[in-house]
Amino acid sequence: MAHRPSRDPSQAATRREFVGALAAAAGATLALPEPRRLLGAAPAPPARADAIIVLWMAGGMAAPDTFDPKRYAPFEPGLAVADVISTFPAIPTAIDGVRICAGLGEIASVLDRGTLVRSHVQPDLGSILHSRHQYHWHTGYVPPQTVACPHLGAWMARVLGPRNATMPPFVTIGQRLEGIGENEEIKAFTTGGFFGSEFSPLNLPFPEEAALAVRPPQGMDGDRFAARERHFKKLLAASPRREFTSDYHQESLLRSVDNAHRLLSSREREAFDITREPKEVVERYDTGRFGRGCLLARRLVEQGARYVEVTTEYVPFLHWDTHERGHETVARMHAEIDRPIAALVRDLEARGLLDRTLVVIASEFSRDMITEGRPGSTATDQAKSPKDFLLEPAHYGQHRHFTGGSTVVLFGGGVKRGSVYGRTADERPCLAVENPVTIADLHATLFSALGVDPATAFEIEGRPFYATEDGKGRPVEDLFA
Amino acid sequence: MPIRTGSRSWAALVVGAAAVLATPGALADGVDFAHEVVPILRKHCAKCHTGSARQGGYSFTDRTLALAGGDSGQAAIVPGKPAESELFLRVTSAEPDLRMPKEGDALPAAAVDVLRRWIVAGAGWEDGFSFGGAVHEAPLELVPVELPPPHAGRTHPIDRILDAHLAAQGIPIPPPCDDATFIRRASLDLVGLLPAPTAVAAFVADGDPGKRARLVRDLLADDLARAEHWMTFWNDLLRNDYTGTGFITGGRRQITPWLHRALVDNMPFDRFVRELVAPGEESRGFADGIVWRGTVNASQTVPIQFAQNVGQTFLGINLKCASCHDSFVDRWTLKQTYDLAAIVSADPLELERCDAKTGAVATPAWPFPELGQVDPAAPPAERRRQLAALLTLPRNGWLSRTLVNRLWQRLFGRGIVHPVDALRAPPFSPELLDWLAADLVAGGWDVRRSLETICTSAAYGAATPPVAGLPATAAPFRGPLPRRLTAEQFVDALWQLTGAAPGRPDAEVARQRPDPAAPPPAPPTAAWIWSNAAAAAPPGEKLAFRKRVALPAAPVHGACVVTCDNEATVFVNGRKVAAATAWNTPVTEVVTGALTAGDNEILVVAANAAAGGPAALRAELRIRLTDGTALAVGSDAGWEWSAGLPNGKGRYATGKEPADWQPAVVVADQSIWGAADAPFAAGVAAATATGPLPMVRAVLVKCTPLQTALGRPNRDQVVTARPGELSTLEAIQLANDQSLADTLRSGAGRIRAACSDDPAAIADAIFIAALARPPSAAEAAAVRDLLGTEPSDASVADCLWSVMMLPEFLFVR
Repeated sequence: MAHRPSRDPSQAATRREFVGALAAAAGATLALPEPRRLLGAAPAPPARADAIIVLWMAGGMAAPDTFDPKRYAPFEPGLAVADVISTFPAIPTAIDGVRICAGLGEIASVLDRGTLVRSHVQPDLGSILHSRHQYHWHTGYVPPQTVACPHLGAWMARVLGPRNATMPPFVTIGQRLEGIGENEEIKAFTTGGFFGSEFSPLNLPFPEEAALAVRPPQGMDGDRFAARERHFKKLLAASPRREFTSDYHQESLLRSVDNAHRLLSSREREAFDITREPKEVVERYDTGRFGRGCLLARRLVEQGARYVEVTTEYVPFLHWDTHERGHETVARMHAEIDRPIAALVRDLEARGLLDRTLVVIASEFSRDMITEGRPGSTATDQAKSPKDFLLEPAHYGQHRHFTGGSTVVLFGGGVKRGSVYGRTADERPCLAVENPVTIADLHATLFSALGVDPATAFEIEGRPFYATEDGKGRPVEDLFA
Repeated sequence: MPIRTGSRSWAALVVGAAAVLATPGALADGVDFAHEVVPILRKHCAKCHTGSARQGGYSFTDRTLALAGGDSGQAAIVPGKPAESELFLRVTSAEPDLRMPKEGDALPAAAVDVLRRWIVAGAGWEDGFSFGGAVHEAPLELVPVELPPPHAGRTHPIDRILDAHLAAQGIPIPPPCDDATFIRRASLDLVGLLPAPTAVAAFVADGDPGKRARLVRDLLADDLARAEHWMTFWNDLLRNDYTGTGFITGGRRQITPWLHRALVDNMPFDRFVRELVAPGEESRGFADGIVWRGTVNASQTVPIQFAQNVGQTFLGINLKCASCHDSFVDRWTLKQTYDLAAIVSADPLELERCDAKTGAVATPAWPFPELGQVDPAAPPAERRRQLAALLTLPRNGWLSRTLVNRLWQRLFGRGIVHPVDALRAPPFSPELLDWLAADLVAGGWDVRRSLETICTSAAYGAATPPVAGLPATAAPFRGPLPRRLTAEQFVDALWQLTGAAPGRPDAEVARQRPDPAAPPPAPPTAAWIWSNAAAAAPPGEKLAFRKRVALPAAPVHGACVVTCDNEATVFVNGRKVAAATAWNTPVTEVVTGALTAGDNEILVVAANAAAGGPAALRAELRIRLTDGTALAVGSDAGWEWSAGLPNGKGRYATGKEPADWQPAVVVADQSIWGAADAPFAAGVAAATATGPLPMVRAVLVKCTPLQTALGRPNRDQVVTARPGELSTLEAIQLANDQSLADTLRSGAGRIRAACSDDPAAIADAIFIAALARPPSAAEAAAVRDLLGTEPSDASVADCLWSVMMLPEFLFVR
């Protein structure tokens, strides 16, 4: 038999005392994990919002078929492509004189609570790969990069922390990371990057199963889960190696274990369980996974989450990524997003949360029936639908990736109510012709709204790394009330 | 809503940070010190006013000096007040005698404006930034080290150096750790596995004073276990993985089989570097980088990735800053990066500064011409070879220092130079660094030998000191620091404790080893076959050969040996697994992952030479199943042939399958290819697993959510160190990961059976296996409390979980 430990555990101080001693000794130097933040003298902008919900239209939401309607013509065999830009007629909205596409009537009715940005532009990167553009949109940097770039939500989590100490600050809803095309590319930005996993998202692919993520594993009831932790603590207290718990690393380890168990046994974890909502509320949201995700997002923000993203889910050739049957598919997407987004805005407003919660509808780029990328682009055309005359209904709709002008919708969080910013040309190519907003400037706007300086930098491998590329993003102040 | 702020929570991390890091502004009023101010000062002023150059008595090497001013007695910079700042007055002066810079044109208006805004905003300075001086750089060549006299009979060179270091710092020599700690530490450090309980008992009981050194040598002698542990380290540094970005569009390659073999064989490190920098087909994945579809930033083209990755991984030089502009944090320049990149670039490489073309063209060159230079006129492949030769010159201290520093970091929890991403901080002991580097070179770049040298020192066997916070850069040595189990070590340990390792790896690597206890492998069964007994074939004839094999159980090992007169490509179930191009050089490849329980199809496309001559194929598969069955599938008359050829993936399009499969014919005169007999037999012997295969290791399987959560990176970038802290999300994963819970439960059943459900025996078994020690009386009582008198799968699983969550388990110490 191996030796018995010589140290009598009863002689050692309790762990609690060690924690106290550590706090006293280390004081403020209880450092965060690397990297080190570089602080600017410029004060952070005053926060207009405390939380942000990004509603991600994954796969390229066509502006002319959603929030930026143009000349409409219904399908008929032989229709000249040049004669149609939108495949949905326009309808009025709660903003006088502003129209969006039919199929988005619910959102139209709450549009007076928000601002349409009709001039968001992206580079086309020479060849369209959705996941690469999504990486760019979510991190602010075009891949590949020399360091692992943090997601927008990771920046918010790292700089601002959680609003409620028990809640994870950064949550993503609706995107599976396994078993779908380009999943490795999606994973590459669904991460805290060089900030490390403390700032990575809690990823909840299925909103209806979100409660499982903060519940004991299947086969273990709450009592056993609690008992297991109690026994663990007892074992920890009995450990003859307990003297080492004054180590910085071990303290951070035990702190994380405590954090995890606090969440997993907290009242807040009920926020993850959308079945706790009244049936009629669930019905208002439940158009599918995205709709249920919006409901979950609302519950999480109510409990103090900082950054929540809900996606329609990127799966190559599905949802917004229409390569054929574009019109039909977009009609279905309208139905999926319209009610829940409007319900989310209304509910946040009713709870007095909309003023301090920024809701953002965005996508990696727009779409068009003729142009791939933008005029003059070298991007290879990936669609087979004709550019001259339409013979089949399957070709009616936007099948090419357009980077020259897309729409972002903002609600709450200090942005103007009932306003439109920027404009795309009325005729093809529908480029942003007024006040183009780049990804860096849009991010700077979101960061500013949350009270984060867009030039916030952290040192990684000896170099500064900025919240917006090279710290150059400038907030679009005109968007704020 | 009430916002809770606790001192020990997600929020506390950030609240704490704000208090610590209040430094003068680095990014004041939209002025970016690093990217805007530094380049102006460096370009126009640094030559005369930094480092030892102090024209007019003024240097702005650091912020204090920059503010103070020179001989004039005037403050050079008064934060907030450009009009009172001598520096600003001088650069804007109209007076030729006063105006700076003295030579050349006045500063452009834009530059003056940056300086004005910078001063107005308080003249913020990057914390710790210095123009020159602060970045440590060792001499290019290793400095010979004179070993200090031994202290108290401690004669190991490392101890002689460190004992003198400790004495100079007034730090007592740390006491040795106990034997149980040592065997757990050495085992996890050198082979990545928990020591077997029997080995722990024997080691602790052993009275031989040389037992620690013997243990280290024995562990290192287990080539497969050692290789599969250090593969994690190299996968991170060489950004190698089985999945990840880039594979989807063919923009990335694995180097897995090459790397595994190189580590098993303990390939000398200089050759290892040469094969990665001037690679063959199997090892080119590192130098080729990751290619994304479409245009990329100028700092991320394949040649620039090459410069960055070679610089960081092998030289400890970080060229990432210097890929866009001259580095602000050390001395590397844009031109040096582009010159290094140009070595592999087939086309002339134009320098781009921050994505804007400069008009200057790079000259293929590496940054240490003192050691020699590549020939810029040579073709790229030749330049690569020249670079590889230069990199691995024994006189190149950067290569050897970088490696031994990283080995030290893995074994002691902290680099001699810290952090280990680059060699730019002062080492805590330059003597130690250079002695280890010189020893590596002198030992023939034998990495295993260096590990042995380090781990047989008393310093390695010392007790870990308690540490309150993160030690500062260049903090003195106090003993090995606790280091967190990697994701791979944790999962391997989990599989050791529960017996739940998967049956076979995702990596196609050769894991079979000759088992001395088993009978030798059976000789080859394969014959040379073709469509006729005379091996007659028209020039360039191409035929498909197939063999269908039904496997009654799941394969745990499969390898294929193939040779052909003249060329053959082997597909197993539609996956390309091997290619042979010379009849006298049979090729052996592991094919485990391509095989499956049930029906399998082996398809070989074989071709005669364009010049004609006889044609024949010889191929053999050696397979081992979960139930221990061994199979040999050799080419013979049971195979079939057809002139209908499959597509490039070894599949026939639906409806295009040949209808004319005919029996293959064994060639009458097998002696034609007699010269290939011996190598073929050797290949078959190597392809055969004669005994049970060692446990599949976590490093050999695709990343799982649990491994991701525990810090296995996605390897899009070179990773030089993993996070030392466990995050909250990781802790959540450990608390409720379903696969972990299920694995623990299945392991619980085995432990209960092995211990006959005796609670005390279960406690002993878990503690000894996991912690290399039995429980103390208090721990035994706590376990008894958990298990009760009648242990269940649930309570034993919970006991396992509780032990695995102890810091003592999660850290190597």
